[in-house]
Amino acid sequence: MRIISVFFMAFGLSVAMAQNKQILYGLEEVPQSLMLNPGVKVPQKAHFGIPFLSQIHINGGATGVSTFDIFGNSNVDINTRIRNKIFEMDAKDFFTATQQLEILNFGWRSSEKEIYFSGGIYQELDFVVYFPKDLAILAWDGNRDYLDYKFDLGELSATADLLTVYHFGANKQINKKWTVGARAKLYSSILSAKSTNNKGSFVTSLSDEEGPNIYQHRVENADVKVQTSGITSLENSSVGKVLGRAFFGGNVGLGVDLGATYKINENWTASASVLDVGVIFHSKDVEQYHATGSYTLNGIELIFPPLSEGESTLPYYDDLEAEIEREVPIDTINSGYSQLRPVKVNAGVTYSFGKFLGGEKCDCLNQGLEREQAIGLQYYSILRPKGPQMAATLFYERRLWKFLQAKATYTVDPYSFYNVGLGAAMDLGKFNFYIAADNILHYGNIAKAKSVSLQLGFNIKIDQEL
Amino acid sequence: MKKNLLSPFLGVLAILLLFSCVKDTDFSQAENVTLTPVVELDLIYFNAEAGEFFDSITNTSILTLRDTTEIRFLDDTGIQESLVRAEFLFNFTNSIPRTFEVEFQFLNEMNEETYREITSVDAGTELAPVLTQFIDNVEGEEITQLTMADRVVISVTIPSSDASLQGVLNLQSKTTYYLEIKERS
Repeated sequence: MRIISVFFMAFGLSVAMAQNKQILYGLEEVPQSLMLNPGVKVPQKAHFGIPFLSQIHINGGATGVSTFDIFGNSNVDINTRIRNKIFEMDAKDFFTATQQLEILNFGWRSSEKEIYFSGGIYQELDFVVYFPKDLAILAWDGNRDYLDYKFDLGELSATADLLTVYHFGANKQINKKWTVGARAKLYSSILSAKSTNNKGSFVTSLSDEEGPNIYQHRVENADVKVQTSGITSLENSSVGKVLGRAFFGGNVGLGVDLGATYKINENWTASASVLDVGVIFHSKDVEQYHATGSYTLNGIELIFPPLSEGESTLPYYDDLEAEIEREVPIDTINSGYSQLRPVKVNAGVTYSFGKFLGGEKCDCLNQGLEREQAIGLQYYSILRPKGPQMAATLFYERRLWKFLQAKATYTVDPYSFYNVGLGAAMDLGKFNFYIAADNILHYGNIAKAKSVSLQLGFNIKIDQEL
Repeated sequence: MKKNLLSPFLGVLAILLLFSCVKDTDFSQAENVTLTPVVELDLIYFNAEAGEFFDSITNTSILTLRDTTEIRFLDDTGIQESLVRAEFLFNFTNSIPRTFEVEFQFLNEMNEETYREITSVDAGTELAPVLTQFIDNVEGEEITQLTMADRVVISVTIPSSDASLQGVLNLQSKTTYYLEIKERS
């Protein structure tokens, strides 16, 4: 139970949809907006992220349930609340958490071809677990009141990854309309576990007259797979060895980010990016478990064998276990497998208005927000085991002060229809600081938020004109 | 205008981020979380033919048939901690014209008896088999004794038998396990 408590506290206290950084997307004053769209307009000449501090990103979310729903002060017994939630939620609900830490991030504009090169290293922990409703009911209520009900084993669906990403990209404003960019990524997986696309059911029903016993407990067409890499050797590995996998000591992969920004006219801009189109090849320290088959359990049949004095009877229980293992074998496979990265798509359209920055119309290249204010729409999706999870954002962006750019967002996502976010990017001389948090309406009591997301970081920025 | 907006903006942001908190919650309630599944599970079944109670070679009666099986999960630590009640249901269908005494003797790893239950089965005929139902509700101190066992010995005793005895004694059985799974201190 302590685990459950810590689990919910983690969601409550960590400060959205995993990996949706709707506030940073398109916020050109923050160099990390390049990470969300390699084709964003880059106003600065160069930037250097403060190592380990250039982007700290944490978020957690759960659709269908908040910490407060379970642990809020209430006259209703906690067990009643949990049971009610189990029946309210469905198998499409999920729990997710993402944490990213940039180790290095840098970029510079080449003087000759006006290409902005950027690169860096970040570490990422990402997991998503879908709510296995049927199994939760089975655990909570048992099978007595669910005779003939098929508990769906296919609801088991989860992925978890800890990896380091090395990246290098290029960005170029190719004309007054288009800015494009691309980034290559090398993934170095530290730990990975995945169980998706499972099938099968478990059902208990009364036997018919011909049946040998009162019930039939049937596992039907089970096909359940768990793929792991980097985990089996954990027990015998030193911390140093595990960390070594962060530096290509483990399983590696390749991927790309692509993005573009198109200036439609003086007021309108459109942008889009696709991130983490890639694959990790798991070949070292791989262990896959695969259970397949069908089996009907009727209990143990005694046959009263005639025995001599001292002779032991048949090993019924061992035979039963052997029979189950034979009919629903769990194969352990050590062959490698490849894993697609969760592809993310961002898109946005922006309408800029208000006073021109600098007080007069400016068509200079590589300027940040050319107008003082902007509103727009953004779209985000991430490909998850049970299909894409999507979010739509309405935003308002404004330069409040010469050194301060602010952005407010209203996001509709699977967690809620009331997600308001706020972010600010400050340029104090060459020092750039940004912070972005969503679901701020719940900051008075984070426990009531179904999701929370926070990004902050520090950079050194060298502006174009310097 | 800009100045007017700056202070409130920074103020709001600072308040939101610095004074964000989790309140009106009580995480100690986690200690009260209790799963109470009720699990139905088949137990043992058998068909004892009337002929099994008579040795035609030596021409002698075999008055007691005995067999045993492990039930390894019963003395599992998790079950010992969580099982609050077990209800055994034994359905005997007897077409042998004899009554029976059936004993269920639960033994631990040392072959010591921890729990025992005896029932009698009514006589039937091949034309009119008789159903005898026996329900054994185990709770309280008896549960502790039951969950110390990891095997059950079933003894089926017939008062008398002969070579002409016909019919079958059938047993079907299940257990309803009432569990209470919670954090134990």
